[in-house]
Amino acid sequence: MSELRTENLTISFGGLTATDNVNFNIKSGEIVGIIGPNGAGKTTLINLIAGIYYPTSGKIWLDDKDISQIPAHERSALGIGRTFQLIHPLEGLTVLQNVMTGFLFAQKMGLKQAREEARKLCRTLELTGLDRATGEINILETKKMEIAKALATNPKVMFLDEVMAGLNSTETLEAIDIVKQIAAERNLAVGVVEHVMGVITKLTHSVIVLDTGRIIAAGPYEDVAQNERVKSAYLGGGV
Amino acid sequence: MNSTVQKNKTWPVIFGILGVIVMILPFFSGPYIQSIGRTVITYMILAISWDMLIRSGQLSFGLAGFFGLGSYAAVLSAVNLHFNPFISIVFAALVAGLIAFLVGAVVLRLRGMYFAITTLALGEIFRIIIHNWTSLTGGPNGKLLPKLAFDGASIPTYAMMVLFALIIIALSEYFKRSRIHYALTAIRDNEIVAKSSGINIYKYLLIAFTVTAAIQGAAGAGFAQLYGFVTPESSFNANYTLIPLAMTLLGGMYSTWGPVIGAVLLGVLGEFLKLYIPYGHLVVYGIIIILVLLFMPWGIVGMAGRLLKKGESHE
Ligand SMILES: Nc1ncnc2c1ncn2[C@@H]1O[C@H](COP(=O)(O)OP(=O)(O)OP(=O)(O)O)[C@@H](O)[C@H]1O
Ligand SMILES: [Mg+2]
Repeated sequence: MSELRTENLTISFGGLTATDNVNFNIKSGEIVGIIGPNGAGKTTLINLIAGIYYPTSGKIWLDDKDISQIPAHERSALGIGRTFQLIHPLEGLTVLQNVMTGFLFAQKMGLKQAREEARKLCRTLELTGLDRATGEINILETKKMEIAKALATNPKVMFLDEVMAGLNSTETLEAIDIVKQIAAERNLAVGVVEHVMGVITKLTHSVIVLDTGRIIAAGPYEDVAQNERVKSAYLGGGV
Repeated sequence: MNSTVQKNKTWPVIFGILGVIVMILPFFSGPYIQSIGRTVITYMILAISWDMLIRSGQLSFGLAGFFGLGSYAAVLSAVNLHFNPFISIVFAALVAGLIAFLVGAVVLRLRGMYFAITTLALGEIFRIIIHNWTSLTGGPNGKLLPKLAFDGASIPTYAMMVLFALIIIALSEYFKRSRIHYALTAIRDNEIVAKSSGINIYKYLLIAFTVTAAIQGAAGAGFAQLYGFVTPESSFNANYTLIPLAMTLLGGMYSTWGPVIGAVLLGVLGEFLKLYIPYGHLVVYGIIIILVLLFMPWGIVGMAGRLLKKGESHE
């Protein structure tokens, strides 16, 4: 059982406060949607939690440990996993080797064990042709590889940043099933950023809504969708 | 014909043949050819070391700096501490590696051109210190080595350099086959993705920087054994940076065999050109670098890999 909690988490880039006093928490077994218009600060929140950025102020707790000042690679080993909105496959490595990295470094396995575990994980994701270069795989395979790379770090808390974007509706349904099944099997805490509300309603138990870096609403999607501030944020954002 | 099998067999055959030539060279050649062989091997070792670091995306211009440092460490330890030639080479590797390890904390924060220029400046700093520390280093006049390895006998010295090259080839292959390969490649491709998979970027860059500097230091020490003296101008010569770089570009980056092939081709070519047009070989190197970058950015090994692959997809 794990819990991730942010406490007045804030980051400013020059004059722009991209994350503004965010208090957010997520526990094992929960899938929480993180929604909001473009530029609301969804990716920035993930980057702060993963250690790509350090906060201007505020804290991040993983269980009883303040992780807000420790480097990203250590957070990965402690159990923070994430996918990338802009996918950058490691082009010098094959698909299998991409997936192996998390096992090798976050989980500190040897080469042989990492290779076996990566194969096993790809099998559960129905990802095949593992010796191909990353440039040779299609978009669904690329997304599966992204999820596999995040899972390979053995996360307690995992963030998926628009992992369904670019998939057609059958592929999206397949991806939703995969995420649900894995989250349940591993008792993960999952944060999901998606723009397609159909995905959010099918996948998540509750949502937080970000606008200009602040949480403006939280709760079950059905309630939040009725919220006037949420409606105007989306209208203002032109969605 | 299954081309993956073919692919796996081509390089070992080529290197088998090269290896045999290297081994029997002393028996049908004079000291002159052997001295060319030793020079080519020195550049080959430098070229491999440069490649081992560029695999992480870090472009070093610091080869001549660590090479010079190593050659001085070897000669000064032989003069002042009476180290025998072999121990002085190991000592040179340790000195160059230790200094790289210490400056790494600063240098490895930099990326791209900032890293490249700083490694170049570092070499200049080493050279200036050695140039001016006359009481220890002999200043601009340099120092003589009191006793050469094998008393300068050509064949054993040649054999020593061949053994040295084999050790570095093995080390480079270890880098290619161990977890270090995964870390360095990930760092080259995308540092944020690498971190997020748990890779300690600084640790792996420090390993690569320290090990390659130690190799360059040892190469400098080996070279001091061939020439018997060191001076700031000859030991820190920019050629020790530029020529290995050209060799690796020609042969192909990100592999052990690229620098090996590039060093043999350019090294042999350069040594013979030198006879006919002094310094002309440097012009030829320059032209080759430009041609390779324009028309063959993956070098010979990369081209061959691509051609084999094309053959595969046409079958
Ligand atoms: N490194 C940075 N430097 C400066 N500004 C940044 C940086 N990262 C993000 N921002 C800014 O922070 C704000 C939030 O960006 P973020 O990428 O988190 O939005 P998002 O909610 O993920 O949007 P989208 O739905 O388009 O992905 C934007 O205005 C963005 O320009
Ligand atoms: Mg985003």
